[in-house]
This record gives sequence, C-alpha cells and structure tokens, in this order.
Amino acid sequence: MTNLETLSNKQSKPIPNWLTALFLAISLIGFLNATYLTAKYFLKTPINCYLSGGCEKVTTSQYATVYGIPIALLGAIYYLLLFVLVFIYYDTNNQRVLKFAAWLTFIGLFVSLVLLYLQFFVIKAICTYCVASAIDSILLFIIGLIILNCTLEKTSN
Amino acid sequence: MDQENQNLSQKELYDLKHQEKERQTKANHRKSSTKRILIWLVALLTLGGAIFGMVKLAGNAPSNSTGPVDAVSATDWARGNKDSKAILIEYSDFQCPACGFYFPIVKKLTEDYQDKLVFVSRNFPLQQHANARPAAYAAEAAGKQGKYWEMHDLVFNNQSQWSGAPNAKEIFTDYAKSLNLNLEQFTNEAGSNAIKDRVDNDYQSGIRAGVNSTPTFFLNGKQIKPTNYDEFRNLIEQAIKANP
Repeated sequence: MTNLETLSNKQSKPIPNWLTALFLAISLIGFLNATYLTAKYFLKTPINCYLSGGCEKVTTSQYATVYGIPIALLGAIYYLLLFVLVFIYYDTNNQRVLKFAAWLTFIGLFVSLVLLYLQFFVIKAICTYCVASAIDSILLFIIGLIILNCTLEKTSN
Repeated sequence: MDQENQNLSQKELYDLKHQEKERQTKANHRKSSTKRILIWLVALLTLGGAIFGMVKLAGNAPSNSTGPVDAVSATDWARGNKDSKAILIEYSDFQCPACGFYFPIVKKLTEDYQDKLVFVSRNFPLQQHANARPAAYAAEAAGKQGKYWEMHDLVFNNQSQWSGAPNAKEIFTDYAKSLNLNLEQFTNEAGSNAIKDRVDNDYQSGIRAGVNSTPTFFLNGKQIKPTNYDEFRNLIEQAIKANP
C-alpha cells in the first residue's frame, strides 16, 4: 500500500497550461510596473503616487540605484527575462527552461524582501509601485515552487 | 496485359502514397513554423506595446506637482513676465544664510528685469534648518490668500529674527497678522497636508534636478553660480540675447 502510494506520488505531473499562463501574466504585470518606474526615472517626471505618497522619497533615495543603475531597470530586465523564458518554453516545450525561470524567482523574492525592508525600516516611506512589484515577485515565487514541484517529480521518474 | 496494368497502378499507388506523406510532413512543418512565428510575434507585440504604453504613461506628469527646471509650472510661484524667454528658478531654504544673502540681489533683478525675466521660487528646506519648513509652510499658506511674495519677502528680510527662535511659528503668525491675512485660515493651512505635499513636491523636483545645496539657481534649465549682482545680470543678458 505504501509502495503504491510512493509510486503514484512519483508519477510525472505535467505542468498545467494555466499555471504557465499565470506565470506569464504576472511577469508581464511586473514588467509593466518596472518599465513605468524606469521610464519615470529617465524622464525625470514626478510619479503619480496612489495610496502611499512615498514614491518620490523612495525612488529618489540612495537605495534606488546600484552603481548608477536604477533598480527599476534591473527589475524590468528580471521580469522581461521571465517573460521571454516562458515564451521559449512555449516554443520548444523544453521544461528545463521553465525550471530555470522558476529558480530565478528565488532571486526575485530575495531582492524584493530586501527592498521592502529598506522601505519600511530605513527610508520609512512606502512606494506603491515598489510594493506592487514585491507582491508580484512573491506570487511568481509561489508559482515557481509549484512548477518546480511538477518538474522535480518528472525528472525523478 | 491485365497484370501489367495492375503493376502499374500499384506503383502509382505507392508513388501517390509517398507524395501524400511528403506533402503532409511538409504541411506539418509549415504549420509548426507558422506556430513558432505566431508565438514570437505575440511576445514581441506584447513587449513592444508594454514598453510604448508605459513610457507614454510615464511622460504624463501629475498636474499637482512642479515641473522641470527649465519651465514654469502652473503651480509655481512666479514673479515677473511669465511669457518671457529668460526663466530663473531658485531652489531655496528660507533659513539658509546664503539664501538670505542672495535674496536682495534676486529681488533687485526681478525689479530691473520685470518685463524680460520670470523668477520662480521653489522650496528646498534642508534638514539641518529646523525652522526652514515652518517658514516654507507660512509662505505657502500666505500664498493661499494671495500673498505669497509678501510673506516670502517678509520672512527673508527678517531671517535673523526667527532663524534660531524656538517660537518661529508664532513669529510667522505675527507676519501673517501684519499682512492682514485671515489668521485662522492661515494657521490651518500652514499645518495642512496639502501645503506639506506642495513643499515636498518642490523638494523632490529639486532632488531630481540634482540640487544638493541652497540656493541653487537655474537659468533656462542650466545651473548657474553667480556670486554677485553683476554676474547675475550678465548671465541674464546673455539668456535674453540667446532667446530673442
């Protein structure tokens, strides 16, 4: 009985299409958000800051750039990479690509948590778009875990 | 004869089948490459649309905040000829001694070039000046009653009086009284979030323009560092000549 259970557990689970579509949609939202902030950074126009009012303070703080590169741009590249990886998966059907994207979400989650910490405890101002990006990263991480779960079962089979 | 016919038709049949198979694989191939092209077309269009849309959206500045350093925005306090081609913008801190030093120079300039120059004062209260923000709030609150520049001048003219004073707010209320402002409205507005946001907006626009000290002057978008009236005058003359 237990053998049967472990066997059935080990059976491959295909990655459902809705899961990859959700991953794609959320990475696109992240990309839109980060691109908006990047454009704001380079156009030097003030941000329409809904709900929090701290956008300017956060995006003009010393933590908004690393070595002169705006973090928003790095975020945009990160989400773009995830978006393109899902499309490569759609094109080639190679699960490794999706697995790689799922592992990348660990980095996204880590960076987002650091940035959230900086906003809440160091800068002491909240930027709506940055929090939205953090939520986005967390969601991608969760979906990434589910995808990894599917692919791990598959490879162990 | 019969057999020959049959043989032929068999061969033909084989050929036909073969051709059919080839056509099918070709069609499949075409189908998959069409699918691939479609997939990447969708990806490219989505990304292109996303970038275009966001950059366009980012280009719209919210109406309630101050603009860049080469133009007068609708919410700016401006003195002089608003249609003039020479735009002088100062990021200033009411409590900074250097701003106090420049104040009479700038005032004289705005009077001498009344028709040819527009002067804009934006708030850049520095953290180390405890009374700079209350002073900015007082000027903005007076502005709500149409007397921004009157309060601006009064505050600068008496900078030494309130700079180190623990009761600076009361002193500003006295100024408001001397300007015949509605005191209740003045006090309410000086403490309001709307005024605080205005000052913050000015400050952030300064940060974006690279301001890190006060006073910082921009003439038609270019930072200038004149040290006296004559240097100021020369720069303004040049700007007027450059944009007739």
